[in-house]
Amino acid sequence: MSTRQLLIETAEKIFTDHTDKQALDAAEAGQFPEALWRILEANGLHEMALPNSGIALADVFAVFKVAGRFAVPLPLPELILGNRWRGASDGFVSVGLFQDPDAVAVPWGRRADRVLAVSAEGLRELKADTVIAGTNIAGEPRDRVSGSELQLLNSEEDPLALLALARVLQMAGGLERTLELSLRYATEREQFGRPIAGFQAIQHNLAIMAAETAAAIRSADAAADALNNADPYRLPLEIAAAKARVGEACGVVAEVAHQVHGAMGFTYEHELHHVTRRLWAWRDEFGGESYWQQRLGSALAAAGGDALWSFIASRD
Amino acid sequence: MLRFEPTSLPENTEPLRQEVRDFLSREGAHLQSRNSDFTTGHDPAFSAKLGAKGWIGMTWPEAVGGGECSFFERYVVTEELLAAGAPVAAHWIADRQSGPLLLRFGTQAQKQQYLPGITRGESYFSIGMSEPNSGSDLASVRTTARREGDGWLINGTKLWSTDAHRNHYMVALVRTEAPSDNRHAGLSQILVDLRNDSAQIRPIKNMAGGEDFNEVVFEDVLVPADRVVGEPGNGWQQVTSELAYERSGPERFLSAFRVLVEFVRAAGKRPSPTEAALIGRATAHLLALRRMSISVAGMLQAGQSPDVEAALVKALGNDFEKLLPEMARLAAPDALAAPDALASSGALAVPDPVTSDDRWQTFRATFADTLLLSPSFTIRGGTREILRGVIARGLGLR
Ligand SMILES: Cc1cc2nc3c(=O)[nH]c(=O)nc-3n(C[C@H](O)[C@H](O)[C@H](O)COP(=O)(O)OP(=O)(O)OC[C@H]3O[C@@H](n4cnc5c(N)ncnc54)[C@H](O)[C@@H]3O)c2cc1C
Repeated sequence: MSTRQLLIETAEKIFTDHTDKQALDAAEAGQFPEALWRILEANGLHEMALPNSGIALADVFAVFKVAGRFAVPLPLPELILGNRWRGASDGFVSVGLFQDPDAVAVPWGRRADRVLAVSAEGLRELKADTVIAGTNIAGEPRDRVSGSELQLLNSEEDPLALLALARVLQMAGGLERTLELSLRYATEREQFGRPIAGFQAIQHNLAIMAAETAAAIRSADAAADALNNADPYRLPLEIAAAKARVGEACGVVAEVAHQVHGAMGFTYEHELHHVTRRLWAWRDEFGGESYWQQRLGSALAAAGGDALWSFIASRD
Repeated sequence: MLRFEPTSLPENTEPLRQEVRDFLSREGAHLQSRNSDFTTGHDPAFSAKLGAKGWIGMTWPEAVGGGECSFFERYVVTEELLAAGAPVAAHWIADRQSGPLLLRFGTQAQKQQYLPGITRGESYFSIGMSEPNSGSDLASVRTTARREGDGWLINGTKLWSTDAHRNHYMVALVRTEAPSDNRHAGLSQILVDLRNDSAQIRPIKNMAGGEDFNEVVFEDVLVPADRVVGEPGNGWQQVTSELAYERSGPERFLSAFRVLVEFVRAAGKRPSPTEAALIGRATAHLLALRRMSISVAGMLQAGQSPDVEAALVKALGNDFEKLLPEMARLAAPDALAAPDALASSGALAVPDPVTSDDRWQTFRATFADTLLLSPSFTIRGGTREILRGVIARGLGLR
């Protein structure tokens, strides 16, 4: 079995046990998933991107897709990449983006032992002085942390781009899950004496979801593979393309999924919203579509219209 | 769940790609088209040059003039031609559809008679499937061919046959047996010589002003017996056998590509944030579509029949072809209506695409061409609604 397959199966096993509806509800109610965190630690998943782990970064990102499928109520990418950039794993690390000059939005900042802050100037470790609890629209903790700088971390990598790529993979997983839930619901729910999947309007809606999801997954996988095979000029542009394309798919897929689910999907009791709200939140985190579209578009414009096609027609 | 596996074009496609680009840079006189739609630009001289390069019938056996190349090599040549806006309409259907049909189902004599001319870029084919009362419901065709002495006597009307007035042959789908309970039975494909048989061909002007598609009327048109392709009665199986090739290629998402190229040219090296976002958004779509399309090419090369995946690529690609001009016009409002005039007189001033000399001039012309063609993108070759039905079947919903 390949490393990637092994990692994926390990993650699937853990997540299946720890991300049921009850666990997601509890996390949203503010309860840190300690058991999940401990089992991740015990399995060494939090260390898989340490510089000496021997695991290719693209394989690590494949696990983020699984995390997205399960709507894992822990900031897995922040934890794993935070350890990578600190070059060590001691305690629960989280990473946030500067919202304004003095505060960072940190997933589970209230529980974090270490806080890293990403800005245009680079990556810093902060000593958290004040933490104000907050959430994104998925109810995931995004706490406002302010404090003094402990150290500037030297990374050859572009932390913003890598965190954006992590969201891309999470969204791809979430889209896949949303499609699965919708296909299942449409074949089980009956109206007018037959499953609603028998109605052409529903079939077309699901076809639209399937197409958007397939495009998103292909984009996400290509950007993750670019970690292995793209040059330093191309890598951030592949990530930009993926964040833009996958983010766009989220709006379409979430909308149609809820339409197919009717009122049931609008209840808190149904699991759908744990995924769709994350899609809505994640598409905006670490740069929304506009930001990444502009970053990609500016680079392509600088290269000129006659170079556009050769950028597109690349050999993966 | 539908899968699009990561697929890399083989390394040997890179020198070929360069060769096509070098060729195109020498053939600028043929590149006057303002759009990348595969059905505009019927240029026999250009097709003959492609034939001489070995770029038509690339995957076919050498015995019939083919190049015995992989589908990936063909893919690279066709996408380079489309991206450059090259005039490929003359040989396109023969290369993509009719040739492969004859190769698979034709007799030895038919292969020898028709295929070498196609590969030379000298012999062009049209599709005769649709009729006045048969569009999406293709199996309902009413044109008949019945045995008459040594030949077949054809009666009926084919509609929308692209370039029938310019091409040499049509492969017509006709009824050779009376309708029965099995509506897919009793259909056959038959070759019509558009220049010498007595079919009446009348061009129909389209809304963009072009005269590309036709009505083709058969009134007791007698053709020899050897014009039937494959087994009589096997027509339905034959027309549906190559759908994945017809639906998954780069022509299914590149029709509006020149709009983007001209947009980037006009926006210049330092685009506004809105302009940059449009370029980024469209490119993100194109990268995804191309990778999915190449993934289908990989499945075809591996001998699978990815009909559902191909339908998905076409549905998504055609929608993008329509979205691109719409996105572009919103990102470049000044290109289409001058804001100064709007402010001063309250009237909308539409710049004259011919006389105005601003930087958006070429964009405007390409935009107009493409927008006028765009309604056809989601209709030809299987409508969006029909494709969504195919996807739904692939998802197990019907
Ligand atoms: C530019 C152009 C070139 C063409 N070239 C050729 C050619 O060379 N040779 C050839 O044979 N044909 C050609 N065609 C015809 C093309 O194949 C048909 O237009 C197409 O199959 C649709 O048929 P129709 O136009 O009769 O539409 P219809 O089938 O009448 O459909 C009209 C509308 O109803 C929808 N509809 C139909 N059935 C269903 C259903 N079951 N469920 C939901 N919606 C449905 C369609 O999606 C569409 O929106 C060309 C068409 C165009 C536009």
